[in-house]
Amino acid sequence: MAEAGEGRLGKRLKRILVMLPYVIANPGVEVAELARKFGAKEKELVRDLEMLWFCGLPGYGPGDLIEVRLDGDRVYVDMADYFAKTVRITPAEALALYAGGAAVSSLPGMEEADALRRALKKLSAGLNTRDGEAAGIAVALEPGSEAHLEALREARAGQRRVEIEYLSASHGELSERSVDPWGLLAALGHWYLVGHDHLSGEERMFRTDRIKRVTITDEPAEVPDDFDPDHYKGAFSGRGEATLALEVSPAVAVWFEDYYPVTSSEALDDGWRSVSLVAGGERWAATLIARLGADARNVRPPEMLSAARCLAKSVAARYND
Amino acid sequence: MTRIERLINLIIALLETRWPLSAGEIRERVGGYGQDNYDSFRRAFERDKDDLRAMGIPIEVRKKDPLDEHSDGYIIDKERYYLPDLELEADEIAALRIATEAVRGGQGEAAAGLMKISVDSTTAPVDGPQVAWGDDMRQPALGAIYEAQLERRPITFDYQSASGDRTDRRLEPYGLVNRRGHWYVVGNDVDRDAPRAFRISRIQGNVTMLEGDYAIPPGFDAQAHLPAEPYEMGERPREAVVRFDASLAWWVDQNLGRATRVEQADGSLDLTLPVGNVEALVSWVLGFGAAVEVLSPSEARSAILDHLEPLLGGARG
Repeated sequence: MAEAGEGRLGKRLKRILVMLPYVIANPGVEVAELARKFGAKEKELVRDLEMLWFCGLPGYGPGDLIEVRLDGDRVYVDMADYFAKTVRITPAEALALYAGGAAVSSLPGMEEADALRRALKKLSAGLNTRDGEAAGIAVALEPGSEAHLEALREARAGQRRVEIEYLSASHGELSERSVDPWGLLAALGHWYLVGHDHLSGEERMFRTDRIKRVTITDEPAEVPDDFDPDHYKGAFSGRGEATLALEVSPAVAVWFEDYYPVTSSEALDDGWRSVSLVAGGERWAATLIARLGADARNVRPPEMLSAARCLAKSVAARYND
Repeated sequence: MTRIERLINLIIALLETRWPLSAGEIRERVGGYGQDNYDSFRRAFERDKDDLRAMGIPIEVRKKDPLDEHSDGYIIDKERYYLPDLELEADEIAALRIATEAVRGGQGEAAAGLMKISVDSTTAPVDGPQVAWGDDMRQPALGAIYEAQLERRPITFDYQSASGDRTDRRLEPYGLVNRRGHWYVVGNDVDRDAPRAFRISRIQGNVTMLEGDYAIPPGFDAQAHLPAEPYEMGERPREAVVRFDASLAWWVDQNLGRATRVEQADGSLDLTLPVGNVEALVSWVLGFGAAVEVLSPSEARSAILDHLEPLLGGARG
């Protein structure tokens, strides 16, 4: 990958090309404001601006160089009309905006959905395209019940505890739970409710398509200040749960790490891969092991293997008569 | 002079020049290219050009002299460089801000794009709905494929199929689809001359743009070329009947509304599903534990028992 495209240099150059139009349009803007707006330290920005003293048109005489003036906290840039407008958005930037927009506008009951659709339509003019058509992107997230998703979003916004009837992952059993909703995440094509589950006393993720019923209660919900959606990967929080270790076949190794929160992974001599991952409980592990079938071996710890055998027996009973 | 100063000088020189500059002119005139010998200049220049293009700066190659094919010159087309006014309203920018916060993985790219189009905006950050998605955005191939699609340029890449075979493919990308959390590119497979879908995460290494162009058939629906469920994939789908226990009838109603179903006396539901991939069906059914049973075809029933055999048989560790 190209160095300037990805690395620190590239990030800095991109920032300069966006910051200059702003400074040119707002003569005398304060360094502190630039730092806030462009997410950089004041020291870094001053260094960027001072560097521009040596940049300009070929010839690099007094009339060619960019004029940068730092007057106390205030910044002035002249002789750089060519940087008065910003650079176009890149396909990767547009793609990320389209994708984020598609996810948000697929949420039922989003007041902003209409504005978002209008904005995304206008975005194509900011790209270099062959025929002005930018779209060609489709995102299909499966919300399960739209009514549930809307209720959960409303509860999250109003910080209300919810009661849900939920189908647990591997046993086909419904349970009544009372949850403080922290956020909604989409991963691997499903929406999940993340929150504090009062039944287990733990933080849990619930797939919204497996929720049978949602009731918003009058109880206030506690949402931790440091709730960070980035903490979650795949289908579970990965906090304080048991580790499952196993070896997967070469065919499974190709996709396994896309789907599961693998904490360590090592190639074996015969093409199989030894992996460890955070298990979302014994029943969850049993389902995973059963689904892998002959593509899994050397499963540890033994309790998870016995849970998988139990599950396999109960399934097989339906086919052996 | 540092490299970043040289890159800025190169951008300015190529934006402001009236005619394309040859490599020799760039070496002589652009601040920062003081290299003693031509080869080291050329290496530095090539690297700068590649990096600026990777950042989306449209450096073009044009003939300085239309009659001389060895007269390559370089220029940045102002039309293609400057962001036109998108005339975004304040509520539209606020909505994009929410979208940006919702993207995981692609957040850096989305934020950079948003900064460009909202640089004059004074709208304050909003309290988003605490949603997040997009683990699958962290794939460099995605941006490269989308760029090729926008420019209608064919691409080539090394693709590893689900079964592990690796082949070089040539594709005219028609659309990108995110399905079940995975990105796919759908397009015309040049060597097979037929539409095909490829999972982006199975592309190995870089995507390379090829010469030539193509048109996307009007009304092309990329999503229609991807099966809805993994078990529907496969060359010749056939019907399978799957029984959901009464305890799961609500789940079927909520999530498989389209499927044909017959309710039994005990409240269980028999669903008829198109199945092209028995292994995927087995995996899907096992996700429900013992609450779901495949009734037919009989191969699928025996596939379930075969699949579970390692767990049902003797000692295995």
